[in-house]
Amino acid sequence: MILKKVTKHGKSELAFASSLFLLGIFVAWDTSRMDIPQGSSIVSPQTFPYIVAAFTSLIGLGLILDLLRGNHGTPDGDESGAPLIPVNYRTLLIVAAAIGLHVILLQTAGYIVAATICFFGVSYGFGSRKYAKDFLVSLIFAVIVYFSFTKGLNINLPSGLFEGMLSNGK
Amino acid sequence: MGNSFSMLIDGFQTAFTATNLMFGLLGTFLGTLVGVLPGIGPALAIGLLLPICLTVNPTSALIMFAAIYYGAMYGGSTTSILLNTPGESGSVITALEGNKMAKAGRAGAALATAAIGSFVAGTIATLLLAFGAPVMADVALTIQPAGYLALIILAFTTVGTLLGSSRIRGLVALAVGLVIGLVGADLQSGALRLTFGNMAAIDGIETVTVIVAIFALGEALYLASRHQIIDMSVLKMSGKAWMTKEDFKRSWKPWLRGTAIGFPLGVIPAGGSEVPTFLSYGVEKALSKNKDEFGKGAIEGVAGPEAANNANAAGVLVPMLALGLPTSATAAVVLVAFQSFNIQPGPMLFQTNPEVVWGLIASLFIGNTLLLVLNLPLIRFWVLLLKVPSHYLYAGITTFALLGAYALNNSTFDLQVALAVGVLGFLFRRFGVPITPLIIGVILGPLAELQFKRALQISQGDWHILIAGGFPKFIYSLLILVIIGPLIWNFKKKFSLKK
Repeated sequence: MILKKVTKHGKSELAFASSLFLLGIFVAWDTSRMDIPQGSSIVSPQTFPYIVAAFTSLIGLGLILDLLRGNHGTPDGDESGAPLIPVNYRTLLIVAAAIGLHVILLQTAGYIVAATICFFGVSYGFGSRKYAKDFLVSLIFAVIVYFSFTKGLNINLPSGLFEGMLSNGK
Repeated sequence: MGNSFSMLIDGFQTAFTATNLMFGLLGTFLGTLVGVLPGIGPALAIGLLLPICLTVNPTSALIMFAAIYYGAMYGGSTTSILLNTPGESGSVITALEGNKMAKAGRAGAALATAAIGSFVAGTIATLLLAFGAPVMADVALTIQPAGYLALIILAFTTVGTLLGSSRIRGLVALAVGLVIGLVGADLQSGALRLTFGNMAAIDGIETVTVIVAIFALGEALYLASRHQIIDMSVLKMSGKAWMTKEDFKRSWKPWLRGTAIGFPLGVIPAGGSEVPTFLSYGVEKALSKNKDEFGKGAIEGVAGPEAANNANAAGVLVPMLALGLPTSATAAVVLVAFQSFNIQPGPMLFQTNPEVVWGLIASLFIGNTLLLVLNLPLIRFWVLLLKVPSHYLYAGITTFALLGAYALNNSTFDLQVALAVGVLGFLFRRFGVPITPLIIGVILGPLAELQFKRALQISQGDWHILIAGGFPKFIYSLLILVIIGPLIWNFKKKFSLKK
């Protein structure tokens, strides 16, 4: 079978290439059901997206072919042909979760909470285990950023849980 | 020419007000600060600082950006020499010889030749920029939409295929960038694309969010996935950052040659600072009398590429200002910075906003000088920054990037986009897909569509207009050369190897 030539890394890359191919089809599908406002000009707003869709799928196919021929991408920072460093899903997910929590918590819990959790989470993901010190550093970072942005630069950040408490000073 | 000169004098008057000087100084400081931090290149540095800069007036803010632009490059070379972790592709070569020099106890000389070389190259290249960009803008005024489209397609091809090791992967990045650029309402008809009923997506995806997320979040996720405890052992620097007479003798020619290589390759879209720094390194190695020193810390190998890198950075500003076409990630962010003040770089810029553009060019000179004066004595201070533990460093970069993504529009949607683009950045790095073509695609995609539509409107829908006329034909011939040239080159190499 043709897939035999492809390594495990190549297989996940094959999934990446296939999703690029599908992305092109998806863009074409979205373009086909586009609502075109009345009185559009000579060039339809669909023309350019169709070109992009075709290009994307074509490049996706090209990448699939490249992979099937046994070539695969060299991870950033590695020498070409160097042994592959396996993905450490645990640390990857910790950092991704820290970023995700920031996104989710910002509006409800406020900037200070979200940023403290994110900072702490990323430094945990990067291997730091001095919990008390890390927490303190995270909190101080978040507080300094919060006040220098809201008071110093007049850029509003959500106060969240501390609503009222922090806005008194203004 | 005479006109450019008097405009430049006016520019200096703009730049020399107390407020603008202060912003310039602040910019050099911030630029060097973030440039020194490993993992932050100039593009990310400006992207991160953009929300802060939006609170001041356009001229001061752009002067600050100019200072950050050069400052981040100075800072970057310090990091590559002392830490061997280049923050951006342009410093990879510097790390090669510079780090070896530092290991041999010659860190001071390496830092000095990098700083002085950057100053010399930056000053010459900024002069060329000041006189070249208006000329190019004048010529560009005569370019028709079809010609513009041809230029954009040329930029797509060079950036997409010349960067990185694999052509198909460069084009992958370009394709994804073009798709991201499609999101939102079509400028002319208002038709919605890829928005899925999300109101926040109608205005499209913020380019700054994409840049900040793909560099900062993508890098953090990628490094986490490799779970390497990054070796942050900073090399000690003994003595002052200065060079001997002998060092000077060996450095000045490489500085000038580096400038001569870097500037033109920045003006034509040759795809970022990798090619010129690499070329300069090759030239110095070929010309040097001390060939055996290369690979062990030859000063020419730092002086040439560093000068080429800085001259290239100024060269990239020529098409960015005169045509509105960015060809590197950093130029792309500067373009976005202009746009966020509703100033559109391009042929008209020199007429519509002369005070801004000449103030900017003048402050490039000032910033460059300030950097030389500030950095050589302050290098010890910057080195201290390298001692920040890497887990705090990446925690700080990540959190600050999210802040930047949010603060631009106070929008949670932007944050969600940032998370998604961060994951994309991780996948790109994992599969060896370069980042810059994506950014160029996001920025130039909508512009390509605009010129495409304008051309077809002029011709009443006749597609032949796209290749009619001398200029588009010339550009497309260049394009064919860019595509076929390397193929023949490779074929020849294979052929001679077989023999």
